[in-house]
Parts: sequence; structure tokens; C-alpha cells
Amino acid sequence: MIEVNQLSKIFELTKKQRKENNSNEKTSTAVNNISFTCQPGRVFSLLGPNGAGKTTTLRTIANILQPTSGSVKVNGFDTVIAPEQARKNIGFLTGSTGLYERLTPNEIIAYFGELYGVEKIAFETRKEYLFKLLDMHDFSNKRIGRLSTGMRQKVSIARTMIHDPQVVIFDEPTSGLDVITAENIIQLINNCRKQGKTVLFSSHIMSEVDLLCDDLAIIHKGEILFNATMDEFRNQMQSKNLTAEFIRIVQNQTKTELA
Amino acid sequence: MIFTIFKKELKDTLRDRRTLIAMIVIPVLVFPLILGISTSVSTSFEDKQQNEVFKVALLTDDPGNEFVRELMSIPYSLGPKELEFHPLQEDASQLILTDSAQIAIAIPPNFDQDQANLISSNITVYFKETNLGAKQRAEFFAQHIESVLRNKRYDALDLNPTKLIPFTINYTNLSSTKEMLGKYVGGFIPYLFIIFGFIGCLYPAIDLFTGEKERKTLETLLTAPVPRWKILVGKMFVVVLSGISAASFAMIGLFLSLEVFEFIDNPKILEAVNSILSLKFISLLFLLLIPLTVFFAGIMIPITISAKSFKEAQSILTPVNFMIILPAMVGFIPGIELTYTTALIPIVNIVLASKELVADTLGIDLLFLTFLVMTAFAVLSVVLSHKRFGRESNIIS
Ligand SMILES: Nc1ncnc2c1ncn2[C@@H]1O[C@H](COP(=O)(O)OP(=O)(O)O)[C@@H](O)[C@H]1O
Ligand SMILES: [Mg+2]
Repeated sequence: MIEVNQLSKIFELTKKQRKENNSNEKTSTAVNNISFTCQPGRVFSLLGPNGAGKTTTLRTIANILQPTSGSVKVNGFDTVIAPEQARKNIGFLTGSTGLYERLTPNEIIAYFGELYGVEKIAFETRKEYLFKLLDMHDFSNKRIGRLSTGMRQKVSIARTMIHDPQVVIFDEPTSGLDVITAENIIQLINNCRKQGKTVLFSSHIMSEVDLLCDDLAIIHKGEILFNATMDEFRNQMQSKNLTAEFIRIVQNQTKTELA
Repeated sequence: MIFTIFKKELKDTLRDRRTLIAMIVIPVLVFPLILGISTSVSTSFEDKQQNEVFKVALLTDDPGNEFVRELMSIPYSLGPKELEFHPLQEDASQLILTDSAQIAIAIPPNFDQDQANLISSNITVYFKETNLGAKQRAEFFAQHIESVLRNKRYDALDLNPTKLIPFTINYTNLSSTKEMLGKYVGGFIPYLFIIFGFIGCLYPAIDLFTGEKERKTLETLLTAPVPRWKILVGKMFVVVLSGISAASFAMIGLFLSLEVFEFIDNPKILEAVNSILSLKFISLLFLLLIPLTVFFAGIMIPITISAKSFKEAQSILTPVNFMIILPAMVGFIPGIELTYTTALIPIVNIVLASKELVADTLGIDLLFLTFLVMTAFAVLSVVLSHKRFGRESNIIS
């Protein structure tokens, strides 16, 4: 379970960033007072165009960033009050995640197993399960530097899941992947739902969201414009298809702003 | 947790060829190479000089004079020479400038007569200073002949030479070879430490911080349930270890070249080096090296954390490198010594203290003060690293 309550994230801009943005604003509000809840056994999707604030939101939930105001609770643990317990419950994977090139899959999995404090026996069982599921045994002793994108993706997945997290967060997990590699992620998300885990993933592609999610939040310019179940989204639809409806909601806000 | 991170980073670092080269290969090889090349060059030069046949042009109108006879009687073993006679009016400088001789000696007419009449003659020796060894050889010949002829005069005058010398002086040097080494080469060991300690820290500091950002693995690491300071400390241990290793391997290389390859054969120096190499010396040196290396790591890490790429980190750290080398150079300036004032300046104090350590003249109070000051700076730099590591703009791009 993830509970996001009136969360805001304001970045202090460095001089360099101000120059790049061509403005004198000292701060930039990436996330503005958002609230939502992700339930166990369901897949929650955060949908929004580029720069909407998806990554910032997910990073704040995963405790890489501190909230400027508001709070985040992961399985009941507040990320500010009990950061380590909160993190222990999370598996975090992004589309742009890198891996240690000079280590082998075995070594990387063992490293993260230790970092998450997984007991030896539980670790061996879990590792065996994941390696078999992802068909990783053939390359588990080769250095990452020699692996293909697909193999690396599998290692990233195994790394994310080695401590059997109750909450799994994916930031645009399929971006940059070919169809077959992306399929690994889709299977993984479905698996997590079956096992009763809380799944939160971000995307800017409506079709992907439609394929996977139970609950939907549309985020734009740091604000949540729509938050309901996927079924409710379909029922309230005013456009001819899902993507058109997503665009309509986003543009509606832009128009209101202009007016 | 710190150990888990340390273990992983060490393994990762040891698989990086660049770091391995900077940490082990170059430090071990640098002294054998420098000493090996310089001794082989200088011995071959000395050999060449000693066995070189010196062409001596003698400008005289009387080739049978006493000077020439004495010159010819100097045995060949004291320097091979080849004599060439020229008339006195010939231009001696031309002979030297065209390299047809290395030394030209002009002997005035009536030399033998003047000697017999106890008159002092004027001999002129022409040479080129750039012709290494020419002047020394000429001086050696001239002194030898002069003393032979002088003794002849003592006999002729029936004088006892000792009556002519009011006193002789014996200068007795009481400083030990160890102290001399401390003064003259002592500045070298801290220099070596500082340079290699710095270089050893450099690659891991960039690789473990900037590299983790550039390769997009930092974000994942930060989601692990480990406090950030533990991640920092685990990584920092590897950086410090690498710096200490580089310095130690340079020392090993230095002693290998002295002990095994025997590039230096002066037994006094060898004896002094052996006595310096005591357990006490090595442990005190490391006592100073540890806060120094932590300090290096502590000033590098804030830079490598905020740098976006390997290149950027390297370009910022290059001028820092010079800022470290400059105080290290202080060790070579004569007259600057470890005092209660200089002990307060980081890096400079380490340089001066290790110099005294080599000479075995380091007092416990100054050792303690140096250690304390360096540790304080190391702690400050670590605190700065910790602050920077926590800064959000540094960890995400
Ligand atoms: N570290 C940062 N410093 C300053 N501004 C940032 C930073 N990260 C993101 N932003 C800004 O916050 C907004 C949201 O970014 P992000 O969360 O990455 O959006 P998304 O993931 O939806 O594309 C953008 O305007 C972006 O420029
Ligand atoms: Mg994003």
C-alpha cells in the first residue's frame, strides 16, 4: 500500500539550471499538492506527458528525494520518519537503470540481497526462483558488460525483486526497450498483481496503461487531473478512444489555465 | 552494511584496469625505472669518461721540457691520454674550438731554465666547460706535476715542507648518515607519499561517485535501505585504501630498487636506509598517511559527487592536484622545519614531519600535533563530503 498525502516537491534551482531555463525563478515546483492511494493486489498507473512530474513523484515515494511538504507512507511507514523500513518494502526500477558493468549478475544480486538484509536461506530460494523464472542461469556468471539489453533487463528485474518487496515502483519501465524485452516487464507486473503486491508504474503511453492497470491517475504540470479506476475512466470517456480522452483531459487544464 | 558496500566497491575497483594501473603498477615501477635508468646512464657516462682517451695539445717550442716529461710519466692508469705537440705561436683556442683536442696546455719558453732559477712560470690551460671532465683532468695533471716540481724545490732549498705549513684542518662531520638522508632525501619520501596517495585516490573517487552517477546506478543504490552515510563511508574506505596502497606500492618499489636491484651501492646509504626501515618508522609513517589520504578523499568526493561526467570531474581535479603538489614541494626548501606553526598547515606538516621521521629527529609533541591537525582537516573534509552526498541536486540529474 502506498499513501501519498498532499505531496509537494519544489526544487531549488542552481544558477546553471536558471540559465538553461532562461528564467530568474529560484525554484521550480515539480509536484504540487498531490494525493493518491495505491492498493495491494492492484496496479496503479501514473500517466502524464513528459515533464509532468512522474519521475519526481516516484523518486519521492522511493525515498531518493525528500518531500517539500506533505507525506508518503509505504506499507504504513512514513518515508521521513522511518525511511529505512519504508525502503525495505519497495522494489524500484526505472527504464534508464544502469548496472555495474564489471560485476556478474550473481554478484549484483548477492550485493542487493545483502543491502536489503535478506537472510541466507531466503536469499537462495528467492534467487533460484527468479533466475529460473527469468531464464538467467546461462549468463549468471558473465560480466554485465558482455550482456545484451534483454539480459541486462532481466538482471535489473531480479535485482528489484530479490528482497520480495510488497510494493513495486516502475518509472517508465518499458521506455527504450524492444517489444520482446518490454514483454518481460508486462509479465512481471501481472505476476506482482497476482501475488498481492502493490504496483505503481508511470507511463506516457495510454495503450500500455490500458493493458496493465486497474487504477489510473493523470498527472500534468505537477497536478493530478484525474484519479479513479480504469473502469470509471472508460465510463466517463467523452472522446472516441482512450488516448484522445487522455489528451482531452490534459488540454482542458491547459485551456483553463490560459483563461 | 558498510562492509557490504566496501567489499563490493573493492571488487569493482580491482576489476578496473585504469585504477589497478594507478594503484599498483605505476607506483611499483616508478622508482626501479627512474633509479635504474639514471644509474645506468650515469655509470655508463662515468665509465666512458674514465676510459676516454684525452687528447692533450701541448704548445711548446721545447718538447723535451720538464713539464712535458712529468706529464708523460703520469701512468696511463690514471687517465689515458694522447699528447700532440704544436709550436707555441699556434692558436690554442682554435684547437679546442674545432675539437681537435680536449685540453691545450701552453708552456712558456725557458720553462726548464725558470725552474732551475726558482722562478714561477705561467702555464695556460685551454678547455671548454661544456666538455664535461676536461677541466678536472687538466687540474689533476697540473696538480700532480706542480707537487713533483715543488718537492724538487724544497730539496734544492733544503727545506722541510712541514715547517712551511702553519696548520692543517680536519673537518669532522658528526651528523649521522641517517640525518643527512633526512635532510637531503627526506623531502622525497613525503613527496612520493603525497603524489601517489593523491593519484591513488583519484580514479576510485571519480569511479565510485561520478561513475555511479554517469552509469545510472546511483539511484538504485540510494533506494536500498541503507543510510547514506554508510554508503559514503563504505565507498570512502575503498578510495582511502587505494590511496594508501598507491603510496605503499611506491615505497615497496623504492626499497626493491635499493635492496634487490642494488641501484645504489654506497654501503653507508644502504645501512641508513635499512635502519630507517624499522617497524617504528613504518608505523609512524602510516599514522600520518592515513589522515592525509582521508583528507584527499574528503576533498575529492564533494567534487566527484557534483560532477556530471568523468571528464568534468577530471578537469576540476587537475588544478586541485597542483594545489596539493605545491605544499608538498615545501619539503624540498631548505630551512623550513617542523615547528608549532608549520605543524598547523595541512599537507606541509606531513611533509615536514616525515622528513624528520626519516632523520629520526621527530619529537612526540610535534608528531602528535601534526597527526591531530591532519585528522581535524580529514574530519572536516569528510563532513563536507557527507553534506554534499546528501544534496539532492548532486545525486539526481
Ligand atoms: N533535479 C531537478 N532540479 C530541478 N528541476 C527538476 C529536477 N528534476 C525534475 N525537475 C523538473 O520538474 C518537472 C518534472 O520533472 P519529472 O518529474 O522528471 O517529469 P516526468 O518524469 O513526468 O517527465 C520538470 O519541469 C523538470 O524540469
Ligand atoms: Mg520521467
